[in-house]
Amino acid sequence: MTEIVATNQTILVVGGGISGMTAALEAAECGKQVVLVEKEASLGGRVSQLYRYFPKLCHPTCGLEINLRRLKSNPRIRVLTLAEVTGLTGKAGDYTATVRVSPRYVNENCTACGACGEAVSSEVANTFNYSLNKTKAAYLPHAMAFPQRYVLDPSIIGTPEADKAKAACKYDAVDLTMQEETLSLKVGAVVWATGWKPYDANRIQPYGYDRFANVITSVEFERLADPHGPTGGKLLRPSDGKEAKNIAFIQCAGSRDENHLRHCSRICCMASLKQTNYVREKGGEDARSTVYYIDIRAIDRFEDFYQKVLADPQVKFVKSKVAKIVEDAKTGDVVLHGVDTEGYHRYANAHDLCVLAVGMEPSVKGMDIPAEIIADSSGFLEINSATAGVFGAGCATNALDVNRAVQGATAAALRAIQVVNRVARAEG
Amino acid sequence: MSDLNAQAVAKYRTNFLKEVEERVEEGEWVKMCMQCGVCSGSCPLGPFWAHPPQEIFMMIRAGRRDEVLTSDSMWMCTSCYNCIVRCPRKLPITHIMHGLANYAHRLGLAPKNQPTRVFATMFWNNLIKTGRVNELKLSLGLYFKDGFKQGIQNALNMQKTGLGLMKAKRLNPFELFSGHGCKDRKGIAAMLKKAREIEASRKHFAN
Amino acid sequence: MAEEKKVAAYICQGCGIGERLDTANLAKVAQKEGRVNLVREHAILCNAEGVKMIRDDIANEGVTHVAVVACSRRAKTEAFNFPEVALARGNIREGVIWVRPDTDEARETTQEMADDYVRMVCAELKAMKLPAGNPDAGHSRTLLVVGGGVSGMTSALAASQAGYSVVLVEKTGQLGGWAANLHKRMPSHEPFKDPQDTGVSEMVQAIAAAPDIKVYLNATVAQTSGAPGRFKVSIATESGATTEEDIGAIVQATGFNLYDASKLSDLGVGSSANVVDQAGLEKLAKAAAAANEPIRRPSDGAPVKNVVFVQCAGQRDASGTHLPYCSGHCCNTSIKQAMYFKDANPEIDTTVIFTDLRTPGNGEDFYRSAQRKEVTFTKGRVSRVEATGNTCKVNFHDLILDDQNASIADVDLVVLATGQVPNSGVNIDLPAEEGAEEEGKKVVSILNLSYRQGKDLPQLKWGFTDSHFICFPYETRRTGIYACGPVRRPMDIVQAMEDATGATMKAIQAIENAALGRAAHPRAGDLSFPRVRIEGCTQCKRCTVECPFGAIDEDEKRYPVFNEGRCRRCGTCMGACPVRVISFENYSVDTVGLQIKAVDVPDEFSEKPRILLLACENDAYPALDMAALNRIQSSAFVRAIPVRCLGSVNTIWVTDALNSGYDGVMLMGCKHGDDYQCHFVKGSELANYRMSKIDDTLKQLGLEPERVATYEVAITDIERVPQLINDYAAKIEEIGLSPMKGF
Repeated sequence: MTEIVATNQTILVVGGGISGMTAALEAAECGKQVVLVEKEASLGGRVSQLYRYFPKLCHPTCGLEINLRRLKSNPRIRVLTLAEVTGLTGKAGDYTATVRVSPRYVNENCTACGACGEAVSSEVANTFNYSLNKTKAAYLPHAMAFPQRYVLDPSIIGTPEADKAKAACKYDAVDLTMQEETLSLKVGAVVWATGWKPYDANRIQPYGYDRFANVITSVEFERLADPHGPTGGKLLRPSDGKEAKNIAFIQCAGSRDENHLRHCSRICCMASLKQTNYVREKGGEDARSTVYYIDIRAIDRFEDFYQKVLADPQVKFVKSKVAKIVEDAKTGDVVLHGVDTEGYHRYANAHDLCVLAVGMEPSVKGMDIPAEIIADSSGFLEINSATAGVFGAGCATNALDVNRAVQGATAAALRAIQVVNRVARAEG
Repeated sequence: MSDLNAQAVAKYRTNFLKEVEERVEEGEWVKMCMQCGVCSGSCPLGPFWAHPPQEIFMMIRAGRRDEVLTSDSMWMCTSCYNCIVRCPRKLPITHIMHGLANYAHRLGLAPKNQPTRVFATMFWNNLIKTGRVNELKLSLGLYFKDGFKQGIQNALNMQKTGLGLMKAKRLNPFELFSGHGCKDRKGIAAMLKKAREIEASRKHFAN
Repeated sequence: MAEEKKVAAYICQGCGIGERLDTANLAKVAQKEGRVNLVREHAILCNAEGVKMIRDDIANEGVTHVAVVACSRRAKTEAFNFPEVALARGNIREGVIWVRPDTDEARETTQEMADDYVRMVCAELKAMKLPAGNPDAGHSRTLLVVGGGVSGMTSALAASQAGYSVVLVEKTGQLGGWAANLHKRMPSHEPFKDPQDTGVSEMVQAIAAAPDIKVYLNATVAQTSGAPGRFKVSIATESGATTEEDIGAIVQATGFNLYDASKLSDLGVGSSANVVDQAGLEKLAKAAAAANEPIRRPSDGAPVKNVVFVQCAGQRDASGTHLPYCSGHCCNTSIKQAMYFKDANPEIDTTVIFTDLRTPGNGEDFYRSAQRKEVTFTKGRVSRVEATGNTCKVNFHDLILDDQNASIADVDLVVLATGQVPNSGVNIDLPAEEGAEEEGKKVVSILNLSYRQGKDLPQLKWGFTDSHFICFPYETRRTGIYACGPVRRPMDIVQAMEDATGATMKAIQAIENAALGRAAHPRAGDLSFPRVRIEGCTQCKRCTVECPFGAIDEDEKRYPVFNEGRCRRCGTCMGACPVRVISFENYSVDTVGLQIKAVDVPDEFSEKPRILLLACENDAYPALDMAALNRIQSSAFVRAIPVRCLGSVNTIWVTDALNSGYDGVMLMGCKHGDDYQCHFVKGSELANYRMSKIDDTLKQLGLEPERVATYEVAITDIERVPQLINDYAAKIEEIGLSPMKGF
């Protein structure tokens, strides 16, 4: 049974992406007790699945490394992975949270030696790579996974595969008897940093994401560009593994659209501008990018980055919301149809690969969470409600870039501290 | 200049957007366009438009009244509704196009020999007489719209189709003399009259 | 602590170490060569039993120094966590067996590698002490907030609500800043349809009602000295008197000024009174609302019937004349201002001319709301505003209709959306003195820091005092001082309030950590701090100049004065010091130097070169680890030592290594330049510079320049890093072994 010490001066942080980690670390480095709950098997969230950040083109794993080091050296944070908050009752300074912890089938004895992974033969979809490839059913979620511990996929439990994994482990780390647990935690304040999910591209019918192999999403493109990804960092298109040299980016795929997401997802323009850099980095001088956009929203200092991309002769901009995509059955190329609205030019442009800059949707949309913290019709959360002790942070509250999400998470940590400090003062 | 047109010019002066908003069916949506162009790209007849819908919306906002109203672009619309389905701002673009065409026609600015317009006029005039469409008269009218010689030629070309339709009892040669109508012709006439009144008051044609 | 030093080495046999290596020999090396007091081997050191064994030894055997010879220091950190002793890790899993093939031929060199890592960890521990924390810790729990606008007021209130007292300094006679001059602000909540009240007066009232917020109006900061937890701040008030306050941490919320519109004569500024900037319009709107009248044009007071908003006026300018950046808020602000007209009278023609309309997030709803109110949005580029009598003509290139000569005539009022210029004080990177004319304006310091490196926060770009790091928006280069609001980055009110709350969090954290003598981010919690043997100092000033955080001042005799509370423990000073008098208790010239010397260097006939690899622990070392996790093989001749930052690398390590017969030295650090990745700003750049100077030394020693090589690596370089190592090993083989062996 998982033992956790938590009191009404403890801060519960829901979500172990960069916002949740930040909120937890900032509070803990201020001397507070924190329980950090993450539904996946390791921390890091969406940013750990990105290849580079805009505008510096640096690697998200660099910041993750620092945050993990802070976390490992801080005894005040208790991390629960494969865990989800299923209920929250009470009031500010006195909440009871119900947390469901799914079995990992691997305990803390695991040394990440990899023997179980070698022993099993069955494979499962690699969700870290957005299922673009497969991984062994006993796996380390990714190279920087924390906890650095393997996971057994539930699908092999009760099969000889699981027994193989157990037999291969010399450290008594594989525990096939693990059961789902339900914990009840007493906490004073809650930071809800459950992040975002990419808008379901299947629902944008004219773009054929569900029908054409060479129409992919921006988050999948990040995995293609990443050396840890399914193609080892090469921009190989899904239909035939050919290196994509002429790539289209479609902005507002789902965003700014009343048929899909009403809001502007803010990051997608910069993300695509960034990705044109990947095209050049990987494809060299004969690589081509075309960005189809409504407005380029390179806000504040990001304008610099936009100007740099504008000056790149290998990148073309077309002010147009693409009307439809047709697949050339022979070549697998995708042909984009639409009208360039700057002066009315009709086009039918063939590209090797088309990347949909999909919008951001709050992950909590449709989940059972306290109603008073839902802020708007898009399902984003309230950052600060005067009465409650539950605060949204990061992309759960708005479509935000990493920098702003971290800013908000830092602010959320203070709001939570205000609550638990009030409790502390009241209790003397 | 038609009276109606002169009156509109006097009333709205440079504010064509306002005019469209008040006088064109669904015209109040024009201001909501954000110029993404998905309508223009989605139109199956797109290449035939001199000015696609999104551009027309911008021209309206820019006050290009004559260019818009004398254009044959909106007559290209075949009501496939692709644009409505895809518009991220949910503009009823098909309806606006018909509204604009109708308005231009009403003001006497619509291009004279635009075939869609000619057909629509014939169709409408055919329909309102009895409350039912007389297919034979409508077809013959269309065959002969460009003169007698061309009409004979058209009729000969379409002979096989015509006979087929007759065999399938979809075309009655006696329609040429009287034709069928609806039960309450007076009612239809009254209904159309009322509709015209409502339209005139709603779209400010009366003042 | 007067306790006796007792060193114990624990050698793990798990994860294949026991099968691949002769751990008994490792134990022997630790005992004989490492001279540790106690050696134990264990089958799985990280399991509960193994950890208990170590704990028992600490408790019962008086062990004070622990060498864990097992996996990388990045693995099993929670298990090997013994805060009461000095701890060092010998990496023989990721560092040795995972990068070497399991073959008979490789066995000997692999064992030699592991033996060396045992020698190294023992040597490191010899020179290591358990850090005792900063004895000069300050205990002030008061926050100074500079600037009384929305950001500053938010910060003060947030700190007060968390139980900290606040001193708020505002240079004008009232609180509120720019926001106080606004008629309304853009909506912050669903349904994002209409402008809302600014809320400034409520904030001002809340501040007045907070007993722990002390407000100084008409006041400026005359001097700031000290360090987090013990800042001494002199506040100059209107009367000329100065008051001193003890301050724990500082939030700088000094806001912005609008870009000087008089530079925009093409847009009609100067030629027509009816061309105003956004602030000018707020003034007109406020006056009109107060008088319950329509907004009137300035030239003759006639009510405005036709207004045009020009976006990006003097912004996003690629020509270099005006501001190159986008101020982010102006599209929404113009939308809000257009609503001032439409909400009062829908008949007023309002047009917004833009190139890219930027209304992120729910701003899209605000944009839609304006369209519904019949604000016209035109994608175009304004070329010229002509004044004719009481009206203007706005000429622009209509980008949709591709009309170069589009225009709107009879415009009563033109509103220019000009940008935010940060109010960040003196640019300490410029040679110009304070008070010097910069673009015609006197630059006045804001914080008046009595720091050797300058009076204000370093600026990142275009005067903004933003953090350079995406993951760490509050990573400041002046510990305990955090900028927020538009001085940090162009922003609107909603963002400024969020930013101010975040900055306040960091300031409070700085107070808490300073009181415990601990470091701030990124080495949060580190209790070590630089100690200087001042009698050896030659007053060369390199440490004071090179410290990335301005932590080191000078005393009247020009000796360095270390302000531990400001220090971030990167060790750049240690790397800089030519006479090696600066060290940390657990990281010093000796902890690394002795490791280098502990390595067994075979003679020149052995054909076994030795290559020293000094790897930055932030990016390069993790990359090595992950390469190992993927079992990518690399040379057996490399001995890797993680360093806090390449900036901490003292050249003595390199020369010592070469003198003791190493054949080459590799340095791996973070990217430098404009988009630098170094977490300590200039560490990798400094190392690069220092190594470029080492050529002379190499020449003196009669060595080839290739014997020292510096690389920029990223944490993702899991394929490249082993490749670099192997290429370098090949290069060394090519140029031959060092002639310095055996001296």
